[in-house]
Amino acid sequence: MATFPPLKTGAVAQYPAIKSLRFQNQIVRFVDGNEQRYRDSAGPLHQWVIRLDQLDETELASLEDFFLSNQGSFASFIFIDPWDGTSYPNCSAGSDQLELTSVEELQNTTSLTVTENRG
Amino acid sequence: MYPQLTTGAYSQFPLRKQRRTRTVTNMAADGSSIKLADPNGALTEWQLRYDGLSDTELNNLQQFFAATEGSLNGFTFLDPAGNLLAWSEDFTNAVWEAGPFLAIAAGVTDPFGETRAFNLTNSGEGVQSVTQTLNVPTGYIYSLSVYLQAGQPTTVTLLLGSNTVQAIAGTNWTRISVTGSGDPTAASILCGIELPPGVIGVFGPQVDVQAAPSAYQKSTTGGVYQDARFGDDTFSFATTDVNRHSVTVNIVYANHL
Repeated sequence: MATFPPLKTGAVAQYPAIKSLRFQNQIVRFVDGNEQRYRDSAGPLHQWVIRLDQLDETELASLEDFFLSNQGSFASFIFIDPWDGTSYPNCSAGSDQLELTSVEELQNTTSLTVTENRG
Repeated sequence: MYPQLTTGAYSQFPLRKQRRTRTVTNMAADGSSIKLADPNGALTEWQLRYDGLSDTELNNLQQFFAATEGSLNGFTFLDPAGNLLAWSEDFTNAVWEAGPFLAIAAGVTDPFGETRAFNLTNSGEGVQSVTQTLNVPTGYIYSLSVYLQAGQPTTVTLLLGSNTVQAIAGTNWTRISVTGSGDPTAASILCGIELPPGVIGVFGPQVDVQAAPSAYQKSTTGGVYQDARFGDDTFSFATTDVNRHSVTVNIVYANHL
């Protein structure tokens, strides 16, 4: 399985980096105000927003190629959490859209959301 | 053909490119999902902003827009921020035509410390070439570049249409390049490397639609888009001074059009 491509420095993210985790709980509320809560999933799903600046053309092309070879959000890949080094084996791009901007030579930017999948 | 600027540049900074794919997703209540890819739904869009255009450059762009009747007719568009060659890291792919006495071995350490380079071994007695034909307008200025390495200094020839340049592949990786246009009467341009007998390390072939090579960019599909179109039916420009104009154009390429 493919792995999310690191930059030339070996990093996969830059500051500011955003990470979130999401549970899927259900709540049943009763007329008297009581409620029951239960888990509707096996555990949390993680999401990372990877915003990258000051990339050179090689790094930008590598990310673009990775996005295309995964057919956007379709295929799964391994993502190493930059916070703690945990390997998440079933992740995909969070959207079918990737925007690449070349501000000038060796000054390229892009942003990609990585979403952990279940099942 | 889409007009190149008088400098030989195809676009200016900043350049914006957007890649869009289409994935049909069924999301279940527990957060799991079933996905289906739709390769024909892919779309690529460029936003090209030009500043400081001369009267001639503006006129060329405007005439081209009129000739395509806005978004009506397609044209060949070359990705200004991409490697025009396809499969730049796979010389065994069918897009590359290798001479019969040329053996191709992958997994060689490249100039960036990874193992994406190839050893090309010419077991013949004369030169052998590995080439790729680009179906692109031949009147543009192109730059072909490649990283080379050899066990002992060896003379290698780069081919870009009828333009050739000879360079020495030394014991360290060196990037060599050739700049030029194709035969104006031809419909394609041949790009490649001619190798003498022996073993040569090759990495990162790239063709840019400009007069000098940019940083190496890996490619699979290549940067040639046949039947791209203007994204709008309107062409508007601002004149900021004598012989100075600004224009923004959107170009769209969709697999399904």
